[in-house]
Amino acid sequence: MNKQKIVLAEDNSTLSLLLKFRLEKEGYELLMAVDGKEALELVELHKPDLILTDIMMPFVSGLEVISHVRNKLSMDTPVIVFSSAGQEEMVLKAFNLGANDFMGKPFSPNELVIRVKRLLA
Amino acid sequence: MLDYQSIVDYFEKFPALIQLAWVLSALITVTIVLLTIYLKVIRSVLRKKDIEINKFKEEYEGALVEYLYADQGDDNFSQVQTAIILKLKKDVPSKSRRKIIIKILYNLMNEVSGEMSESIKTLYYETGLIDYALARLKNKNWYVIAKGIGELTRFKIEEAYVDVNHFINHKRKEIRKETQLYLVNMFRFDGLSFLNTLESPLSEWDQVQLLEALQKFDDQQICDIEPWLKSTNETVVLFALKLAQMYNQFETKDVLIELLSHKNKEIRIFVIEVLTHLYGIEAKDMLKANFNALSLEEQISFFGLLEKLVVPTDEPFVEKHLFHKNFEIQLLALKILKSINIEKFEGLSNLPAHEKSPAMLKFVKSI
Repeated sequence: MNKQKIVLAEDNSTLSLLLKFRLEKEGYELLMAVDGKEALELVELHKPDLILTDIMMPFVSGLEVISHVRNKLSMDTPVIVFSSAGQEEMVLKAFNLGANDFMGKPFSPNELVIRVKRLLA
Repeated sequence: MLDYQSIVDYFEKFPALIQLAWVLSALITVTIVLLTIYLKVIRSVLRKKDIEINKFKEEYEGALVEYLYADQGDDNFSQVQTAIILKLKKDVPSKSRRKIIIKILYNLMNEVSGEMSESIKTLYYETGLIDYALARLKNKNWYVIAKGIGELTRFKIEEAYVDVNHFINHKRKEIRKETQLYLVNMFRFDGLSFLNTLESPLSEWDQVQLLEALQKFDDQQICDIEPWLKSTNETVVLFALKLAQMYNQFETKDVLIELLSHKNKEIRIFVIEVLTHLYGIEAKDMLKANFNALSLEEQISFFGLLEKLVVPTDEPFVEKHLFHKNFEIQLLALKILKSINIEKFEGLSNLPAHEKSPAMLKFVKSI
């Protein structure tokens, strides 16, 4: 059986690694991006089942990633955004652009797994 | 072919100025060559250092993730965790590696919550990193102490209270700032107790940082701020006024009214703003009675208060200042009159031209 693919765009390498380990343990295939630009390349190339993206990233932000996926690529892939304290307006913008869920940092990786499973069920 | 001697003879035939130019050119050329070599060496050293840092970073990130997932869910460490602690403990004495470990731990601690965050804190203790931070507090250089306090704040080490607290009146403002942030980040509003004894001024930037730290907490139950409103340190009073405004401290109104006669003008003006925010209607009559004794800034601030808290009985007072020499007061008075007695306001248009400002009336009418 093919593993479900998840693109993870996060510029904090330690958090990326932590989530990669956790989600791979749950049976997903993780495609890692350190910024929005890399994330978009991975999305176009691999057509993932889910996108996890931080809002603030170098070069291309999480909001731009969502906008590109929804408007340019016309994909309805579920998107979960990670936001930090003080980015409440950004989260609203993300939902307006078509994000499906959000998680405020700091968050629990276990909670993320639950949300991922719910969206990919 | 010219031999060495002939070159020297040839050179000596030149005028002194040309000789000097040649010597200088030679010196500059040699310097450029040496600097180029030096830069190349520096670049190669930095590159090597970068590669080494990335190698250790990857290694420690992997170890940290492994440590976190090896958690058994009880108070005991698993075998894997013990091995990782020992490995890190061995590397911690190296300054460069310690720096990398601290950065990795801190970066992740900020991003994950609950048990994982606590596990990272435990690792900080177990690897002995805390001892290095505490040792920094005994350093003779102020910037090392400030960095040490900052690290203890970031890792939420409440146990360092006794070691940190005595820096609260340190002569260096950087150390004072870090200490204040430590206390507030660890003990929230209780941490503000340093304001009781603070002798040094609390800069605007310090105040902003403290307010930002306080707003991060879910529990916004503020303590009694009245002692700070009565402080002899004027910056503490200004900070307490900000707290009164942000946390709607209605019960401090009496103290605020007393502060209307404070010797510092900045405080008096800010008190009027805070009273406006807290609907301090009790202050209105007092300010009205002393209006002419107030400074212009206070008068403007008072009209700001009146704009929000005006009642019909204030009309004669407002009317008296409709043609005040100050533009802001005139504008506010017109706006207030319009809000309480529109007929009288409309009637102002009939006044002779020299007694009114048609442009301002037109503007107030339009808003």
